Amino acid sequence: MTLVGTTPRGTTPPPRLPVREKSTARHRAGTGLSPMLTRLAAERATGVLERERGSLYLAEGRVVHAESPYAPGLDVLLLTHGTLDPTVWREAVERADQEYGAARLLLDAGRIPRGALELCHLGALYDAAYFALAPSSAPGRFVYGAGHWLGALRPVPVDALERETLRRRELLERLWPDPLADGAPLLRSEAVAAPAATARQNAVLALVNGVRTASDIARELGRQAFHTLVDVRRLAAAGLLSALLPPPPPVAPAAPDPPRGIPMPRVNDPDITLLKRLRDALEAL
Amino acid sequence: MPGIDECLLEAMRLPGARGAALVDWTSGLALGSVGEFPGGDHEVAAAEAAEVARLTAEQRAFTPDHGEDDRADPPVEDLIISNRDSYHLLRFVPTSFDSSVFLHVWLGRSDGNLALARIRLGEMAGRLVLG
Repeated sequence: MTLVGTTPRGTTPPPRLPVREKSTARHRAGTGLSPMLTRLAAERATGVLERERGSLYLAEGRVVHAESPYAPGLDVLLLTHGTLDPTVWREAVERADQEYGAARLLLDAGRIPRGALELCHLGALYDAAYFALAPSSAPGRFVYGAGHWLGALRPVPVDALERETLRRRELLERLWPDPLADGAPLLRSEAVAAPAATARQNAVLALVNGVRTASDIARELGRQAFHTLVDVRRLAAAGLLSALLPPPPPVAPAAPDPPRGIPMPRVNDPDITLLKRLRDALEAL
Repeated sequence: MPGIDECLLEAMRLPGARGAALVDWTSGLALGSVGEFPGGDHEVAAAEAAEVARLTAEQRAFTPDHGEDDRADPPVEDLIISNRDSYHLLRFVPTSFDSSVFLHVWLGRSDGNLALARIRLGEMAGRLVLG
C-alpha cells in the first residue's frame, strides 16, 4: 500500500515533494491515537483492548471487532430493518464458540449473504472504533487471549483503522467545528434561509426531541453513529439543530476568587449560537 | 455467495478495468479496493468519489419522478464520469439495512465498454447484498 522510494548511492536525493500526513515515518511510529494499540499490533497480539469509550478485539494484531456504548452494535444494524430475523441472530450468538463464531454460523446456514454481513460488520467496526479511539482520560487495559463470539470476518489492520479514525475526526471538524452536538441531547432550531435537509437528515431531525443524543437517534434508525454525527454536524452548521447545553456544574456557595476573564454564559440563546457560528466562520476564513 | 473481495475481483474482469472499490459515501471510507486508482492512492480516490456520490444522492433534481416514495434509498442508480482517457462508473448499492455505499470502477477509455460495465455492475451490486 505504501511505496518507499529509493535513491541510488552517490546521487543527491531530489527535493522532497509535499506529502499528506500519512508519511512513512509517522506511519511507523503510529498515529499517536493509542500507543498501546500500535504496540499490540506490532507484537501480533490477540485479545481485547478496553478503553474508556469502547473496546477493540484483536486477533494476531489485527482488529476483528469493535464495540462502543456510543455506537449501535452489529445486531442493531442487522435487526432494525429486518435484514436478519431476531431469533436467527439469537440462536447464532448462543451457539457460537471459539471455533465457530456467530458470523460463520450465519453464513454457513445461508441466513445472510456474505457481502451484506461484511458490509454491516465493517460499518459497525469502524463506527465503534471511532468512539473507542476517542481521547480518553483513563489508560486502556488489554486482556490477552479474549476472543469475540462473532469470530473473525474481515480483519482490519490497526494502522488503517487509526488513519480512518483521524480522517473522520477531521471530516467532522470541517463540517462544523463544535463537538458539543456529538454527545448532548439535541434540539431543533428555527433557521432563516437554511438549506433544505436531505431525506436522511430529515429522518434524523424527526427524532430530535430535546432528550435524544446523536447516539440514541442512530440506534433508533439502525444507522451507524458516525453517519448520524455527520448529519448532526451538517444540520448544526445549517442552523437547523443545536445541542442542549448540560446544566452548569454546581458552584461552591462562596467561591472566593471569581475566575479571571469573562465567563461564557451557558445558555441556549439563539443570538449566542449565531455569534458562535459567526466567530467560527470568521476563524475558518 | 460473494463477499466484498469476490465482488471487486469480478468487477476487475470487466474489459478495461483499472481499479475497483466499494466506498461508503457518508464517511468516504473504502471498505475494499483492488487494482490501481488515479493519483496512486485508493484512500484519497475513495474520499473524493464519495463526495461526488453524496452530492448526487442528495440532490432532489436527480430523484425519479414519482418522488413521494422517499424510502427508495438511494434514489440514484449510477453515475458516469468520463474524461479523455478513462471512465468512472459509480453504482449505488441498495441494501436492506441502513447504509450508504457504492461500487466504483475505473475503466480505460480505449478498451472499456461503458454499457456492459453498467449492466454488470448493477448485477454485482445486487448479488453482493442479496446473495
